Amino acid sequence: MIHFKKKPRVAFFDFACCEGCQLSVLEMEEKLLDLLSHVEVVEWREVMSEKSDEYDIAFCEGSITRKRDVERIQSIRERAETLVSLGACASISCHNALKNRWPMKEVVEMVYGDSGGHIDTIPARPVSDVVPVDYQIRGCPVSLPEFETVFKHILTGQSYDPPNQPVCVECKLNDTLCVYEKGMVCLGPVTRCGCNAVCTAYGDACQGCRGLIDEANTEAPARVLFREDLHPIMAEVARKNPLTRKEILAKFTVYNDTSEPDEEEESSDDNA
Amino acid sequence: MTAPENRVIPASNFTRFLEAIMAEQPVIGPRERPDQPGFYRFGRLARAEDFAPDYGTTTVPPKKTFAALREKLFSFTLDSPPELDLHFDSSPFVLLGIHPCDLSGIDALDHAYSQPPAEVRWTANRRRASLIGLDCRPDSYCFCTQVGTESNRNPCDLFLTPMEDGYLVEVHSDAGAALLEKADTRKAGEEDEAAAEQWRREKAAGIVPEFDAPVEKIADILEVGGLTPVWKETADRCYSCGSCNTTCPTCFCFDMVDDIEPDLSGGARYRTWDSCQLLDFALVASGHNFRGERWQRVRHRWQRKFLYLYRQFDRPYCTGCGRCSRACTADINLVDVANRLIAAAQKEA
Repeated sequence: MIHFKKKPRVAFFDFACCEGCQLSVLEMEEKLLDLLSHVEVVEWREVMSEKSDEYDIAFCEGSITRKRDVERIQSIRERAETLVSLGACASISCHNALKNRWPMKEVVEMVYGDSGGHIDTIPARPVSDVVPVDYQIRGCPVSLPEFETVFKHILTGQSYDPPNQPVCVECKLNDTLCVYEKGMVCLGPVTRCGCNAVCTAYGDACQGCRGLIDEANTEAPARVLFREDLHPIMAEVARKNPLTRKEILAKFTVYNDTSEPDEEEESSDDNA
Repeated sequence: MTAPENRVIPASNFTRFLEAIMAEQPVIGPRERPDQPGFYRFGRLARAEDFAPDYGTTTVPPKKTFAALREKLFSFTLDSPPELDLHFDSSPFVLLGIHPCDLSGIDALDHAYSQPPAEVRWTANRRRASLIGLDCRPDSYCFCTQVGTESNRNPCDLFLTPMEDGYLVEVHSDAGAALLEKADTRKAGEEDEAAAEQWRREKAAGIVPEFDAPVEKIADILEVGGLTPVWKETADRCYSCGSCNTTCPTCFCFDMVDDIEPDLSGGARYRTWDSCQLLDFALVASGHNFRGERWQRVRHRWQRKFLYLYRQFDRPYCTGCGRCSRACTADINLVDVANRLIAAAQKEA
């Protein structure tokens, strides 16, 4: 049995996101009570009113999208011994990165018209692009079993590598029917697992919320779906999904837009 | 044992037979997936009617019964010294409805796992089970005739061939004979044997994919070399998702992971199936990856199936079940690739 001399203090913080990952964590219910019995929670906006500037473990949700986010996350990093990026927005920028394709000025105009002069927006970045991150929990929202695993790794002082295997591995380990067999297109073969393949277990296709595996073969879908000599299952997939190359690429970018943040635009954004 | 005569069990008696077995021990067999008509998986039958004898194939082979996809090896306490608790279940069960190819897969793993040091967990689980095989109808991915498993019976205890009303039953072990005592059967006549023979002929005639060389020659071809263009061309669309391995009845590589209880009092070590196609499979502590290139991993799979293990165990480690080709979302078909290798080797020669 592990005993702590002093309970580690835990705080949750949010940046640009829906705060859904924080809420998801609450859904652990009685298991959460077990985990929290080892720590002292000092700040968690979705749960309590108290705040604190002193904490040991910081769970940070959301993308860094404003200049003051940069200062804030740097200050959290200085205070916390352990910093965790919580969820897709914090770990891979998620949908927030979609705006990075346009100059920030245009983005502000698109949303606020000519009354957005006060908006302090910079290209969206994951937390790890700004400060060192000790643990990463991916997913939109985070998977609760993985949250639990990472929490326990932190408490027992173990490092944690987010799984770098595709969702297909977990589908097979669950003996889940492949959605391609039902004629659907799924991002499972290129997407990191760790979610226990929950979407496909319920018959839905993977949308790629945990980000691409390393060296993901994103060229493969176009190389497969446009072949003339497909075998029955993939022939049916191709027939039911007459996607253009552009549409295939669009599927990858919902959670995984790799457009580079425009640095020039960031520095010119001085009107905040 | 001396070869006993074949028996016939009519359909209505077969249900009673199953019920009699299920009264004594669990029966695991092919079942239709809930809410997914037409798709099947192996699972415990709740009622005799759950048995789906016409199942075409399953995503994952029945080997999962003996080496679970995620298997708890032992639990431990976080004390020093830790207390270990090994989990061994010894209760008997029946595995029903195994096609000849999947029997061959179990046979392949019996061989591989009995090499010293023997894999105790597989052996222990195998001892718990009686196996009832079942003949099948091929789909367009099956190629059992190309690897010689279409009439394999090893290591089953009983084998069923579907007939118009019920099954022709072959008895392959004393355990099978004992099991069959629960059934109301009659002696198989010439007509019954002829019907079963007809089934086997139609099955063999239904196989579509064919190797362009005998399977024994593939090992030599793989050793000749000059095949890199085929590997690279295949790798161009391979996702390295590992589904060819995780659905394979003969793959036996695994990974291990520890999990700690939320109260931090202890935990357990789990074993899960692994795949040589995954990027990190051959990654070692120094950061070196022995098969860091996708085409090297693709090559490794064919070499394992048709060269290394073929030389070691004198049989291809492929049962012709076609699961890898079915599961491949890149539509990489094992027989197609083998034929491209054969063609490339002929060009080379």
